[in-house]
Amino acid sequence: MRSYIIRRILMLIPVLIGISLCIFLIMQLIPGDVISGLLGIEENPELRAQYVIKFGLDQPLPKRYIDWITNVLKGDFGTSFRTDKEIFPEMMSRFKITFQLTIMAAMISWIIAIPLGIISALKRNTWVDAVVRFIALLGVSVPNFAFATLLILFLSLKFQYYPPVGYVGFFENAKVNLQIMILPAIVLGTIMSGSVMRMTRSSVLEVLRQDFIKTIRAKGASERVVIFVHALRNGLIPIITLIGMQIGGLLGGTVITEQIFSIPGLGQMVLTAINQRDYPVVQGCILFIAFIYVMVNLIVDILYTYVDPRITYK
Amino acid sequence: MKNIIEILKGIINIIKQLLKDPIGRIGFIGVFIIVLLSIFAPKIAPYDITEMFTKSKLVSPNGEFIFGTDNFGRDVFSRIIYGAKVSLQVGIISVGISATFGYIFGIVAGYFEGVVDSIIMRFMDVLFAFPSILLALFIVSVLGPSLGNTMIAIGIVNTPVFTRTVRASVISVKSMEYITSAKSIGLKPINIILKHITPNILAPFTVQATLALSGAILTEASLSFLGLGIQPPDPSWGSMLSESRKYMERAPWLAIAPAVFIICTILSFNILGDSLRDVLDPKLKL
Amino acid sequence: MNKRILSIALLIVLVMMVFTACGGNNNSEQTPVSGQEQTAPDSQEKPKEAPPQVLKYGTDAEPVGLDPHTISAVASVRIFRQIYNTLIDVDDNMNFIPELAESWEQPDDLTYIFKLRQGVKFHNGREMKADDVKYSFERILNPETAALGKSYYDSVSTIEVVDDYTVKFVLKEPFAPFMTNLTSLYGAIVPKEVVEENTNLMQVACGTGPFILKEWVPDNKVILTKNPDYFVETEPKLDSIEYYVMTDESSRIAALRTGNVHLIKLPASSISLVEGNDDITIMDYQSNDYLFLGFNLDLDKFKDVRVRQAISYAVNRQEIIDLVYDGEATIAGFVPPAMGRWSMDFANEDLYQQNIEKAKQLMSDAGYPDGFETTIAVGLLDDIRGAGEILQKQLEQIGINATIQNLESGQYIDAWKNRTHEMMAGRNGAGTDPNRSVAFFYSTKGSANVWGYSNPDVDALCDKGKVTVNEDEREKVYKEAQKLVLNDCPNIWMASPMDYYFVRTEMKNYKPTTFNIENFNQVTIE
Repeated sequence: MRSYIIRRILMLIPVLIGISLCIFLIMQLIPGDVISGLLGIEENPELRAQYVIKFGLDQPLPKRYIDWITNVLKGDFGTSFRTDKEIFPEMMSRFKITFQLTIMAAMISWIIAIPLGIISALKRNTWVDAVVRFIALLGVSVPNFAFATLLILFLSLKFQYYPPVGYVGFFENAKVNLQIMILPAIVLGTIMSGSVMRMTRSSVLEVLRQDFIKTIRAKGASERVVIFVHALRNGLIPIITLIGMQIGGLLGGTVITEQIFSIPGLGQMVLTAINQRDYPVVQGCILFIAFIYVMVNLIVDILYTYVDPRITYK
Repeated sequence: MKNIIEILKGIINIIKQLLKDPIGRIGFIGVFIIVLLSIFAPKIAPYDITEMFTKSKLVSPNGEFIFGTDNFGRDVFSRIIYGAKVSLQVGIISVGISATFGYIFGIVAGYFEGVVDSIIMRFMDVLFAFPSILLALFIVSVLGPSLGNTMIAIGIVNTPVFTRTVRASVISVKSMEYITSAKSIGLKPINIILKHITPNILAPFTVQATLALSGAILTEASLSFLGLGIQPPDPSWGSMLSESRKYMERAPWLAIAPAVFIICTILSFNILGDSLRDVLDPKLKL
Repeated sequence: MNKRILSIALLIVLVMMVFTACGGNNNSEQTPVSGQEQTAPDSQEKPKEAPPQVLKYGTDAEPVGLDPHTISAVASVRIFRQIYNTLIDVDDNMNFIPELAESWEQPDDLTYIFKLRQGVKFHNGREMKADDVKYSFERILNPETAALGKSYYDSVSTIEVVDDYTVKFVLKEPFAPFMTNLTSLYGAIVPKEVVEENTNLMQVACGTGPFILKEWVPDNKVILTKNPDYFVETEPKLDSIEYYVMTDESSRIAALRTGNVHLIKLPASSISLVEGNDDITIMDYQSNDYLFLGFNLDLDKFKDVRVRQAISYAVNRQEIIDLVYDGEATIAGFVPPAMGRWSMDFANEDLYQQNIEKAKQLMSDAGYPDGFETTIAVGLLDDIRGAGEILQKQLEQIGINATIQNLESGQYIDAWKNRTHEMMAGRNGAGTDPNRSVAFFYSTKGSANVWGYSNPDVDALCDKGKVTVNEDEREKVYKEAQKLVLNDCPNIWMASPMDYYFVRTEMKNYKPTTFNIENFNQVTIE
């Protein structure tokens, strides 16, 4: 077991190096650079030369990569070209916002999806199952920007409601914070609930047909006990995987929703930075998101081996 | 020849089973209609998609323009019909790209294991760790926005999923007895892969492809929302929808038509994929 | 048994993660408590006494930095224009009016002497004096600053502090746009000690303007508070201005409709959304921008002036105005009507009348009877994209089949700079001085002449206009230049649009104008 974990962690190193290299190269390849973005129409060779030196873009590419990555390893993500701000603290405060949004969205998706999934599995091949599945699939089929716009429009036209403007942290003012976060969380959560529902349904189904359930049934346990104690507990295993996927995936997947609801999260930060070609910010954020993603996956995989004894690793 | 008949019989059998499930029926019919629409788009569309009826801009649905007109006075119905073609094209080609690469990488990684496997899978991990919409955005930014590049970008983004699916199936099939015996009688790896492994992974592969198709259409819509989707005057439902947001109150039909079509299309593919999984995935057969 | 415990433990861990996630917020950002009350929607419950004098402005983009000398992004300028002042300003008739300089005189073509207002204080409490003017312009002219406006003031040879309230500029050669350029925020007056302490003014701001920077939370909000020592004693009326970043257009409209913000800026196409809403007023003003279609003159097909003229004849400008701007724009050239006396009327020029026959004739004379294939690169703005699609359709009539390339802003600037486009549609600002409108874009060496256009006669006129101080003569020079450039058609110009502010009726005494768009000094909230 320990050697498995160590091997997995060692495997992360080439992945993270690969990601950092990829994003570094992509930023070099993207047309339009930070200087032309900054100067716009005012650009002239003299001004450009000043900025090339200021940003260290006159250094050879490999040197710039190595400088960047060694600083990152020391925990120094550098400063933004555009705003001159330090990147790491900024990234952390944005991360908290996106993380809160992710958790809220995930919870909403469980509230909607897990009961529906169980019902649908138990009533397999009935009209209830059909309706539930249809709703769930409808959820994953709606583009989130369409849903978000509709929600905003509906609330503002019918109820004269729009959430408070200007993000406030949870501990500064919980009420305002929740008012701001709940709409985007609903949008993300509803859309996510489709896949959670699907996963719950199939894992409950799988558990139900396993031998030990048959044994328990044969022993005369009531149907309720069968479902809640045995089936659900075993069905939890893949759900844990799903939660991991949700958290990992949402961190980078909230971009559009954050933009529509003006949530100053990590997604918004990356998008702004991409548009401004702010290389160190984009590189730092993407590397960070990827890091979180692989870590979450690693943790989930490790937990999985604890929870499910059927899985063994060399 | 005999083989082809066998395969056809198999497909018909699958379709029959699909149609037994009421939900599966909806999905199958939905996909069928969309395919018909896109094939016969030029015949069905009453107007040229770029024709601007400048005197009648933002006209609400009526006998002449059954879905109304947009802010340039173009017929929304014709654009929606052509949009079906574009969306389907994006879906099929991008999934084709990811399925091809996914199949090759997955087979190679799963069959040979060892170093090759590690290299391929680590590379897939790298792609996978990128937030998918951002990866697509990066690729389109680098290549420049166009229909072809959108398809390439979505294709690349989806490749790791296919690779993983194929690899996992290959590994589980490989340990089966008949493969071991095929190896022991000295069959070449390529033959084993083609004749014995491939048929066995077709089921999960097909399911994955159907689901990826709906994902691809959704991703295109998101890219269009971010301003990097398909270029005008090609009508894409995604860009029609995101442009219509400005007219939601003044001309709601502009938003409703593409929204309904996007949702129905994605829904049909999702349903089809979901039902196919039930039909094809023997694990779930009770 | 074990499994069960683990499952529960997992859930607990997850729940804890939620709390740590939220809990983390309070150690990094600390907003004063008073700030929050204003954020909460408190409009409905209490009976109205005097509402807080807080203007809430829903903006479309995050400022990139606040250094007036090195930043030109609209999102930044809108904020630091409230913080900094320039020596002089310009009114809507393009007359110079006092700002930090009370009066000025020009003893000869090369010398400008400014008398400064006394008792003007920077936001740090120190009085602004002639030394600060000298320092500010030295900072701009220092290449290491990389100031965007360096070329505006390059003609300055010496800046002399005569006494605390008198400063004298001596130019190397006569430079007619000099006074106009002083009205630009590129020439904002900044305090030396603040620059030196922070190495630049990107994150900090300290000017003499009506509002003081209080807080800037990235991608969220910027808060400015009233400058109690502002040199106009009765201004500003507001206690503070809060700028909220709301990238999405429909969100901005929704927030305006519900009264969460007082002011937003939107394109013409959104007007109908708020028509009939009694709480919202639309305020428009003639912008100083114009819509253009540019050609890459390196390419053989566009080298021929007949092809460019043919395109000008093929374009129906009124149709573009009707479809893109709902009719709310003026047919214009590259010195739009807002430029007053400098602007030539293009609308009645023959090249501006759609004439397909003539266009076709010109195309076949140029050797393209069947037209050609090309591309139109368009920038991100909605009106440009719309115009691109209409142009594509209109050019089909003379056999030109253009594919549209939507460029994201970085790609647009790249294409602009490296001349990688074939045709390119965009929106340019004409500036406040004709030297900018003409020489910057169409003289051979102009930094924004990205077309490869060169006409020695135009160059000669540009040089002349720069040193001609007599306004009447100068007007003649630039009108002649406009005529020449029009006939050469290095670009096709179409329209100068209106710009719009959507304003809640609670916001009083606000009137945007072309050269004074966001003056909130008189604004009150009722």
